[in-house]
Amino acid sequence: MPGIRVEYQEELEALEASALGGLNLVTSQLVRTLEAIEHQDIELAQIVVADDDRIDGRYLEVHQALITLLATQSPVATDLRLISALLHVLKNIERMGDQCVNICKVIPMSGHTPPADQEMVKLILTMGTHAKSLIAQAKRAFCERNVEMARDLVDRDDVIDELNRDCFRLALAIGDDVDQREWAMTMMLTARAIERIGDNSVDIGEQVAFVVTGLFREFEDASHPDAQA
Amino acid sequence: MEGRKLRDMFGSASKPGTEAEEGRNTMSQAGPVTETSSQSRGAAAAARRAKTLEAKEVNLYYGDFHAVEDVSMTIEPNKVTALIGSSGCGKTTFLRSLNRMHELTPGASVKGSIQLDGEDVYSAGVDPVAVRRLVGMVFQQPNPFPTMSIYDNVAAGLDFNAGKIRKADKDEIVERSLRGAHLWDEVKDRLGRPGSGLSGGQQQRLCIARATAVSPEVLLMDEPCSALDPVATLAIEDLIGELKKEYTIAIVTHNMQQAARASDNTAFFNLDESGKPGHLVEIGATEDIFTKPKQKETEDYVSGRFG
Repeated sequence: MPGIRVEYQEELEALEASALGGLNLVTSQLVRTLEAIEHQDIELAQIVVADDDRIDGRYLEVHQALITLLATQSPVATDLRLISALLHVLKNIERMGDQCVNICKVIPMSGHTPPADQEMVKLILTMGTHAKSLIAQAKRAFCERNVEMARDLVDRDDVIDELNRDCFRLALAIGDDVDQREWAMTMMLTARAIERIGDNSVDIGEQVAFVVTGLFREFEDASHPDAQA
Repeated sequence: MEGRKLRDMFGSASKPGTEAEEGRNTMSQAGPVTETSSQSRGAAAAARRAKTLEAKEVNLYYGDFHAVEDVSMTIEPNKVTALIGSSGCGKTTFLRSLNRMHELTPGASVKGSIQLDGEDVYSAGVDPVAVRRLVGMVFQQPNPFPTMSIYDNVAAGLDFNAGKIRKADKDEIVERSLRGAHLWDEVKDRLGRPGSGLSGGQQQRLCIARATAVSPEVLLMDEPCSALDPVATLAIEDLIGELKKEYTIAIVTHNMQQAARASDNTAFFNLDESGKPGHLVEIGATEDIFTKPKQKETEDYVSGRFG
């Protein structure tokens, strides 16, 4: 008997689209953040900080609507898993937005003409590009309920982690100049923030697996790295 | 050997006659009656292992109409098993076959086996009335005997089954049953008043007290809350949670949230189309049925996508 609970189904679909649309907001924030890093653009960084309200607003709006759906429609089975996953994903999106803000807040600290090491800037921009494609892949995996694509996020995230370690090595070898060391320190914070964006994308992938299989398991357990299947 | 055990458990229908007479004969023999003596009951009251009901390839018919097809499932002891499914899927028919009430409908017949702790309730020589004492039923509409007092309603099954028992024992069983049904405090000062004067929720708890007074192993409930308001419904659900410590419980419900709240296991029945027999689609732990059912049919039903 099709046609039953159509409005509820439509609303759930719309909320999924709205929640995952938050990933587009994050992507545009990340793109501007990378641009601000590359050009030491303090004004652009301030715009990114101000625009985080849009992501937070999306979070609150969709979160409230999902709670209302839980309270009024008693969703079960796949619908329930989807709602649970979306609540997680919203949090991941909100965190990714905050990481962009964290980066943009440290950009002015190094001044308009910092003693930048171009190799390190390049590494960070590469990390950012990878993070951007991770976000896109996480979104696509969720939309398509594609567990394989979601699992693949782990391998792609490893690339970011490796670049992060390279950054760290460069920072250690940056020399004795006090200003340059301070700059390298803020760049490490930046690299760390981008690395976290990658981790949040992987977390979204884990939610894809939960929606599809009903089982929640971390793809990788950072506290027990050897115990992974 | 097998037949002997069955008779020990259910009593023997050795004498022809009405079911009522058979029941009395059964109960006047040694066996189940001794279990109802207050001492042994008191010791067992804490938390006892009730019996398991196991259906194997059960097929049910109304005349030529095949109502339920090939149902095999286990109703686990001291757990609540909810039977869900849309109207006409055979869940109530199946429930009624578990204590041999299905055969009370003219033309109705049963194939397959239903075992209570390994003893087939449909074996030749097993008294259906004795089965119904061990496997009690609570109905959709509360049905206390309207002219009888609250006390007599609870004691009705005792008089009916056991013949004469001492007044003091009877008093104790009535009180214990009413307490067990969470009704004692509300009625203890008016035990002599008619049961029909109680509210719907109280009447249903009275029926549960009546069903438990004869010390059954299994309680079957056929939509026990569908005629009750939400508060009375939640009171009955709480009570079901208490009763499973002593009994095995199967409950038919159309209220999926009730199945989700009140049961440990859930069995989903469905039928392919009107006129076809109902069948068991899936049985599993309630939390699995409502979070990750194995069958798409189950998923669609519990999600409210049809039926």
